[in-house]
Amino acid sequence: MSKQTSVPRKKKSLGQIMNTPGVAGYVFILPFIIGFLAFLALPMILSFGFSFTRYNILESPVFIGLENYKTMFFDDSKFWKVFGVTMYYVLFSVPLRLIMALLVALLLVKSSKLSGFYRAVYYLPSIIGSSVAVAILWKRMFASDGVINALLQTIGIPCEIAWLGRADTAIWTLIILAVWQFGSSMLIFLSGLKQIPVSLYEAATVDGANGIQRFFKITLPMLTPTIFFNLINQLINGFMAFTQSYIITQGKPRDSTLFYTVYMYQNSFTYNKLGYGCAMAWFMVFIVGLLTFVLFKTQNKWVYYES
Amino acid sequence: MKKQIAAVSMAAVLAAVSLSGCGGSSKTPNNDAGSTQTDQTTAASGQESSQTGSSGDKVTLNLCWWGNQTRNDVTKKAVDLYMSQNPNVEIKVEFTDWSGYWDKLSAMAAGGNLPDIIQQDYSYINQYQKSGQLADLTPFIESGVIDTSKIPDSIIESGSIDGKCYALSLGSNAPIMAYDKAIVEEAGVTIPEQMTISELYDISQQIYEKTGAKTYFDGGLNMMQIIARSGGSHLFDELNANDDTSSKVHFANVDRFSKAEFSISPDLLAEKNPDVVETKPLIDGTTWNDFSFSNQFISISNTAGRELGIAMYPTADNASNQSMYLKPSQFFSIAETSQNKEEAAKFINWFTNSVECNEILMAERGIPVNTEVAEAIKPKVDEVSQVVFDYIAAVGQVATPIDEPDPAGKGEVEALGKTTVEDLRYGDVTAEEAAANFVAESNRILTEAAK
Amino acid sequence: MKTGYQEKRTIITAIYHVFTFFFACVMIYPLVWMIMSSFKNTNEIFRTAANLFPEEFSFSNYQVGWQGFAGYGFGTFFKNSFFIAGISTIGAVISSAIIGYGFGRIEFKFKGFWFSCMLLAMMLPFQVIMIPQYIIFNKMGWVGSYLPLIVPQFFGQGFFIFLNIQFIKGIPYDLDEAARMDGCSIYSIFIRIILPLIKPSLVTSAIFSFMWRWDDFLSALIYLSDPLKYPVSYALKMFSDPTAGSDWGAMFAMATLSLIPIFLIFLTMQKYLVEGIASTGIKG
Repeated sequence: MSKQTSVPRKKKSLGQIMNTPGVAGYVFILPFIIGFLAFLALPMILSFGFSFTRYNILESPVFIGLENYKTMFFDDSKFWKVFGVTMYYVLFSVPLRLIMALLVALLLVKSSKLSGFYRAVYYLPSIIGSSVAVAILWKRMFASDGVINALLQTIGIPCEIAWLGRADTAIWTLIILAVWQFGSSMLIFLSGLKQIPVSLYEAATVDGANGIQRFFKITLPMLTPTIFFNLINQLINGFMAFTQSYIITQGKPRDSTLFYTVYMYQNSFTYNKLGYGCAMAWFMVFIVGLLTFVLFKTQNKWVYYES
Repeated sequence: MKKQIAAVSMAAVLAAVSLSGCGGSSKTPNNDAGSTQTDQTTAASGQESSQTGSSGDKVTLNLCWWGNQTRNDVTKKAVDLYMSQNPNVEIKVEFTDWSGYWDKLSAMAAGGNLPDIIQQDYSYINQYQKSGQLADLTPFIESGVIDTSKIPDSIIESGSIDGKCYALSLGSNAPIMAYDKAIVEEAGVTIPEQMTISELYDISQQIYEKTGAKTYFDGGLNMMQIIARSGGSHLFDELNANDDTSSKVHFANVDRFSKAEFSISPDLLAEKNPDVVETKPLIDGTTWNDFSFSNQFISISNTAGRELGIAMYPTADNASNQSMYLKPSQFFSIAETSQNKEEAAKFINWFTNSVECNEILMAERGIPVNTEVAEAIKPKVDEVSQVVFDYIAAVGQVATPIDEPDPAGKGEVEALGKTTVEDLRYGDVTAEEAAANFVAESNRILTEAAK
Repeated sequence: MKTGYQEKRTIITAIYHVFTFFFACVMIYPLVWMIMSSFKNTNEIFRTAANLFPEEFSFSNYQVGWQGFAGYGFGTFFKNSFFIAGISTIGAVISSAIIGYGFGRIEFKFKGFWFSCMLLAMMLPFQVIMIPQYIIFNKMGWVGSYLPLIVPQFFGQGFFIFLNIQFIKGIPYDLDEAARMDGCSIYSIFIRIILPLIKPSLVTSAIFSFMWRWDDFLSALIYLSDPLKYPVSYALKMFSDPTAGSDWGAMFAMATLSLIPIFLIFLTMQKYLVEGIASTGIKG
């Protein structure tokens, strides 16, 4: 690809055309455009189309106009319930997870003999993901006779709460799980931290800035692109969270941990209302898209890019 | 590279064109598209074509099931045996887990390439039949390709819709109440083979007083169906007719039990989750009883690691009808799109009627439906399985025909039932409110789903 | 004075290690629990879930599990997983770097539109596009092969593209300018300047991509039909069956084994991850 610059003069015109940003940009994103059109665009358009139909997968879809959206907004009380549950989950799990990830990344960015080991250990919980093993373990830990209550008792708080059995506490066991699996954000913070030029710190130290000042004057601003990325990404992930609710709590008790995507999945496949499921999905895309849009609009206020 | 890209984009365009046809209003687009697609698929992936047209050609059958390690192992072994006995048939197996199976099957149905032989479940058979995905097995039964002479009529009926058989049961199940024998003995009570709800209440009281073990009362659809059946009706008929007779009785029962001191608290019940074998409150001895189906008895016993007893579901106090029934654990069906229905039927015949085959399967899918086969297998299974054999035989003596296959919307009604019962147990609604709300909502769901 | 300063440093270092180590133990406890459970008998796992250590260590779960299903062993499943995850990762990392540069550094018409398309694709749950996508792949004759699992990875993955964009935006434009003065084209700037500088994000992408492809069972479930082609993630699902009983011991054993490759990938990659800009010899 780098040949263009060294090609003989007669072909220079083509080289020049290829080297204009308007063309080169498309050359670089061409794989995305092809992949998007081939594998994603049509399924996305179809799923949007399905949202205006009654479609049980086994039979052809029947057009019913806005019926699904009407049911969703006005008749299905469970819809707003799961929407609320998911918002609550996102509202708490995303910031907590990011703060945790950032703190641990700062802790581990220091090079020491053990740092490789520590990084691995802190990343491990994220490797196990939301497997059945985690589901079983999580239930055990938060059981009324489980480790958490035992710990609370040893520090003098007599506690026999069935954490997973109460509508107000069950969702927090899932939030804690999300915070515990901060590994992926931590990893991105780590690489973000390492990208900050050392010279900046050296200069600041010469100027007599202490650790806290250096953090707020250099680390945090320089890290904002990474924070922005993690925020957007965790926001999307938070709304898309599925397995925790699906495997660990199955929405119990009383739908207090029933996530939006799980209800959407149940509608699409268990209740055979893929049309309704698609309507739910696109409403979620609308909400997440809106939040993302707002974040993108505000980014020039707080995100620092080299320019 | 460029050529590949071109090929891919061409394919995408083609797909777009044919898909837009698929979404149209023609009556059975899936099936039309299906037959051509299957050909394309096999040709493209370089597999042998499965046409039977000319003689001597090898017939390829696809066979799909869900199951665990044991089932996968024994079924494959049986399939291998069949292939060695029928060298003209090649059976390609495909197995997956329970929940993934249905996702996959719906994708296959949408793509029009269902496998020739499909393992089916009682709760899904209705919708697959309604949408024309399943082949009618009646001609094969009449012609004797599938020999049903040793299979009770009720079994054939359980896979029939509107008088035509679409699915052949592979084994029988029945609802059970499992209980901890040691706790029951310690309390000095005897569990009758089938008790009434009030008897269960009294027994629970005694057990709690003597041993402290709590009681679990099933608030779900299974119990509701039993209550309806004991009055000679069927739950979904009632719900379709907006009739709250059985629902009222059921929610009153749930309320009565949940207010009793011997009942497991709603918090703990939600934490333990009796829907999952491993976490059932019976497993760790929190409760002395649990409700399930007979096919799970073995795994519940193994997980509990104690000796468990088996009793019939309790029935209503003023029962006018026997409420117990036998339920097909699973079926084999043949896809309507299959090119080799007759060969598929031959395999199903062998699978149900051959002792040799069932000696490999060892009743893993439930008690064999062929009574002679069942008798031949029984002495060879382990002790816990024999308990199930005896239980199914006992239920078979009294059982009345099972409810019609579950209607569309059943899944949603079941979920509604669960949350309604939870609301009742936590004391947010009264039994009457719960019943009224449940019936009205169910009626709405069922009407909507029937569209 | 000097010794006092040293003492203070030592104490801080000690506190750092004690804290980090203690916290690490908390983090890792569930994993240890899972590994220990893989040595318990299946029945023991649930009855003694509160005990960390098994009554006696038994390797039978590993033996039983490794045999797999119906004669298809975990050796095959592991081989398949390595193939799928390996090829997919190479495709995803390379294509996402190229696309990320296009979005992150070059101005062109309708960039915002394409970028929105990318974000949109990230936001839409897979479950609702699963059926239409199946129909498309089925028409292309790809169902039953690895193609639907692998080929889309070669056209960039939103998450990695976005990650690369953010990293590229953090690289000073002076470097591009200098290179352009030297006669570098947009293309050679990418290869000579940008690519070496986004190594951390490439490594991060590689770790994530491998892990996600390794764990992904949904596309395997939908698109594969021959058990000979099943990956580990999908095979693991088959130990449990709510309708007939589950072998949790074998599942834990194989799940533990399936963590090892991801863990090793992480261990070997993480040192490149933290090398960072300092080691590339360029000062901001």
